[in-house]
Amino acid sequence: MSTKNIMLCCVAGMSTSLLVNKMKKAATELEKDVVIFATSVSGFDQELASREVDCVMLGPQVSYMEKDFKEKLKDKNIPLSVINMQDYGMMNGEKVLLQAYELMGGE
Amino acid sequence: MDDQYLNVIMGIIMNAGNAKGLAHEALEAAKQNDFEKANQLMTESNQSLAEAHNVQSEMLTKEAQGEHTEMNLYMVHAQDHLMTAITYQDLVKELITLYKKNAQ
Repeated sequence: MSTKNIMLCCVAGMSTSLLVNKMKKAATELEKDVVIFATSVSGFDQELASREVDCVMLGPQVSYMEKDFKEKLKDKNIPLSVINMQDYGMMNGEKVLLQAYELMGGE
Repeated sequence: MDDQYLNVIMGIIMNAGNAKGLAHEALEAAKQNDFEKANQLMTESNQSLAEAHNVQSEMLTKEAQGEHTEMNLYMVHAQDHLMTAITYQDLVKELITLYKKNAQ
């Protein structure tokens, strides 16, 4: 199984950074081979162009950008999903990690 | 940062973000001349903003009573979300009015 790259994105990449830490912890516990990082809405294009991304998770506070972002990811065939609001609010790293894996088709 | 403090911060960010998102959807609806939907979305947006505001007011009340809230960058960030949502909502209200006038 290869390393998976999960990109989290919110307005400033700040609250998602908090979530990244929790997800990394969950990934260690679940023994998942994964790279998780957060970016801001304005840094989205650059990150997408410069590194490998297997799936994108949007912070629910920017869910209104889902359509625009999906359009950008269409050619690259990268799945995108809005993070479950409850899990985001509670900063539940494990649940969001599992949501990301589901998005990438299990494993 | 303890969990309770994090919950307060996330409470503001989530509700403020939600309010902004709903206002944005309302604007989209108004653009399509669906003013009934726009109104409904703005009502929902108001509810979200009120919730974010409640969390904020609670902190302000405590502060006034001498119970100081710990401040860090995340709390500043949450306030930033709230302010942005309030400003955005005000602006969207005006824009919906304009779309309405334009449609008449």
